[in-house]
Amino acid sequence: MDKTLEKILPLVQKPARYTGGELNSVIKDKNAVDIRYAFCFPDSYEIGMSHLGIKILYDIANKRPDTWCERVFAPWADMEAKMRENGIPLYALESGDPIRDFDFIGFTLQYELCYTNVLNMLDLAGLPVKAADRKELAPIVMGGGPCACNPEPIAEFFDLFSLGEGEEVNSELMDLYAVHKKKGSTKEAFLRAAAQIPGVYVPSLYDISYHEDGTVRAITPKDGAPAKVTKRIIRDLDHVSYPETFVVPFIDVVHDRVTHEIFRGCIRGCRFCQACFLTRPIREKSPDVIDAQCKTLCKNTGYDEISLCSLSSSDYTRIEELLGDLLSWTPEQKVNVALPSLRVDNFSDELVQKLTNVRKSGLTFAPEAGTQRMRDVINKNVTEEEMLQTARIAFAGGYSSVKLYFMLGLPTETDEDVEGIGALAKKVVDEFYGMPDRPKGKGCTVGISAASFVPKPFTPFQWEPQATREALLHKQTHLKETLPSKKINVSFHDINTSFLEAVFARGDRRLSAVIYEAFRRGCKFDGWGEFFKFDTWMQVFSDLGIDPAFYANRRRPYDEIFPWDHLDYGVSRGFLERENEKAKRAETTAHCRIQCAGCGASKLNGGHCDV
Amino acid sequence: MYELRLFFSKRGRIKYVSHLDMFRILQRAVRRAEIPLWYTEGFNPHPYISFLLALSLTVEGELEPVDIRIVGETYPEEVKNRLNAVLPEGLRVEKAATPVLKPAQIAYGAYIVTLDPQEITAEELTRALSSGKLVCEKSGKKNGKKVIKTVNVSEHIRSYQVSQTEKDVRLDVILPAGSVFNLNPLQLMEAVSAFLGRTVTPDRCVRTALLTEELSEFQ
Repeated sequence: MDKTLEKILPLVQKPARYTGGELNSVIKDKNAVDIRYAFCFPDSYEIGMSHLGIKILYDIANKRPDTWCERVFAPWADMEAKMRENGIPLYALESGDPIRDFDFIGFTLQYELCYTNVLNMLDLAGLPVKAADRKELAPIVMGGGPCACNPEPIAEFFDLFSLGEGEEVNSELMDLYAVHKKKGSTKEAFLRAAAQIPGVYVPSLYDISYHEDGTVRAITPKDGAPAKVTKRIIRDLDHVSYPETFVVPFIDVVHDRVTHEIFRGCIRGCRFCQACFLTRPIREKSPDVIDAQCKTLCKNTGYDEISLCSLSSSDYTRIEELLGDLLSWTPEQKVNVALPSLRVDNFSDELVQKLTNVRKSGLTFAPEAGTQRMRDVINKNVTEEEMLQTARIAFAGGYSSVKLYFMLGLPTETDEDVEGIGALAKKVVDEFYGMPDRPKGKGCTVGISAASFVPKPFTPFQWEPQATREALLHKQTHLKETLPSKKINVSFHDINTSFLEAVFARGDRRLSAVIYEAFRRGCKFDGWGEFFKFDTWMQVFSDLGIDPAFYANRRRPYDEIFPWDHLDYGVSRGFLERENEKAKRAETTAHCRIQCAGCGASKLNGGHCDV
Repeated sequence: MYELRLFFSKRGRIKYVSHLDMFRILQRAVRRAEIPLWYTEGFNPHPYISFLLALSLTVEGELEPVDIRIVGETYPEEVKNRLNAVLPEGLRVEKAATPVLKPAQIAYGAYIVTLDPQEITAEELTRALSSGKLVCEKSGKKNGKKVIKTVNVSEHIRSYQVSQTEKDVRLDVILPAGSVFNLNPLQLMEAVSAFLGRTVTPDRCVRTALLTEELSEFQ
């Protein structure tokens, strides 16, 4: 290890975040590979090491003999300061080599508030943050993940984006790159060729023009780039590569366990939920494949917990079969199985029985809204009775603390809807005390966590304004003042954070200047309360003459061209528009297994959905 | 149930992993090695893995004892080999045996501290160590409150030897260790720094062994 690094590591918090050397991390001979790939997660080590996507793509890249993929996380502020002080550029954990010399620098973009971290990491690497200022072929800076669905606010900093699922397209990109590197191509030549790979979006190949009112006039491709870039999906989850082992961190990270994805997509179609529409069509993985892979992963990592992840896990059609398979060996091996994403309407007795074979903790449900009318608007197809039924089952199963997730500021929300949140929580409390055989001497706690609604691209609410700061403040106060019971505690997400998230979620390319300037003025880790400098952000908007409310709080007409209209995630705009109209009438849409609503995503999978 | 004492070494960059994280690391290694751990009985069963003495962050170790409980009869040598096949870089089981002494019989730690002659000469170090005036500050608890105590370091140094190698200044030192009172070489170097009026940070600290009151090897 570098001697300067050895001198600074004892001076920073949790130095093991910066040393590498974790079990199962991949070490290769750098002289024996053609492509060095730095997989960057623009947040702390603890957050990044919890992410499943990075584990999958790390594994796939390293299976290639010509590629060495390494991990990079955002150093915490104390470490960053020491690195800058001592002239240590951002390095990859496996080799300790500076990432500025790599071929690819790939960022996974999970959350809009990580954007300044991306810039900060490029800067710490010693690279120009703007793509146009990086003239050489290498490094190619690419982005993927959910935020790639509208990457326009950060388009100036990236060479290309990969839309949708990365398992196949990453390899295609590396194949292409290897050819161009050998030929000694220019970056422009490589990018023009890369734009021909389905799912690859090269922002520099699109000219954007604007109307006088600030909305987009046209998005014009050039140099043969496609008019629409369609996201990639993996058709067959049973046969796609899945890691046999994970890098096991030394220190405690947020999700430190075997994680296994059981299906992709969601049948529900809640109108606020971007994840649902970005990940369609529904594709399931077979129980026997999941079970075998979990067994291997437990063996190779030593983890004693498996978390089955997906959107709305209880919608997995073979959930009972899968739990049966897993529970045939996990108790004996002292392995805990967790299902973190459950819906309240099909949370069955048997499921609780199976889950109660393992350790009991608090239960979390997301009714999202307090009244039936409001839940109909957002198409959260659950009734109050179903929720109370679930609470009864959970309480009878031994759970005594329940956390309920809600959103404030949903389209058409009234004060009455806000009051409904407290009223619903109260009914949950009453269920507990109404149980004849409730555990003696044990109280029940119900926690409400209320986030502020952020309208997102590719959802039926993409045309909706976000509630203003004043309106949201009023709703928070109103909720607190009308809480009917002391057994309920409530916590709120920060309004300013949600506002900035809303600006970037539906922003356009002109916001690159704002993000650049905010980074220059020291903004980073904006998702972390202790670092978030809202006043600096507002000052930057004002200094650059850009009105953030134009992006966050404006109702957009149906005929407006969106900054992301050249990107295709399968779900059609017509469908989203129909859903928006139905929301206005508080009409629900049945889930995919009751009736296909024609969202359009099945076209990506040859017309097929696993429903 | 069978109790086994493992002596492991912790070398290289894993020295930046804290003592608190070591339990989880070893627990996972034992699981990977498919060694049948004995679990405590009760509502929330957990394996019995007990590190006898903490090793400070950035200090390496050559023979650090940890007690584990295993179901049934297992051969120490086999446990050692199976663990060594799955341990992460920097950790190795050097010895596995049935515990002989009680953990409370640990009284001293033997350390080798390597220093940069640019930062401190052998003469300066000797002068500091023989001054009898070394003190350092140690945080402790009094009536549940956090307090800073000044500790007379000089009177706690059991023995030391300073030597000059080709590249380094080397200090061999025996300091109190155990559940009652502990002094680690980093604190010693803080005291030396305070004495000299400038910061001296060691290049490397290694605990080579734990010793009993009679300075014999802890087994």
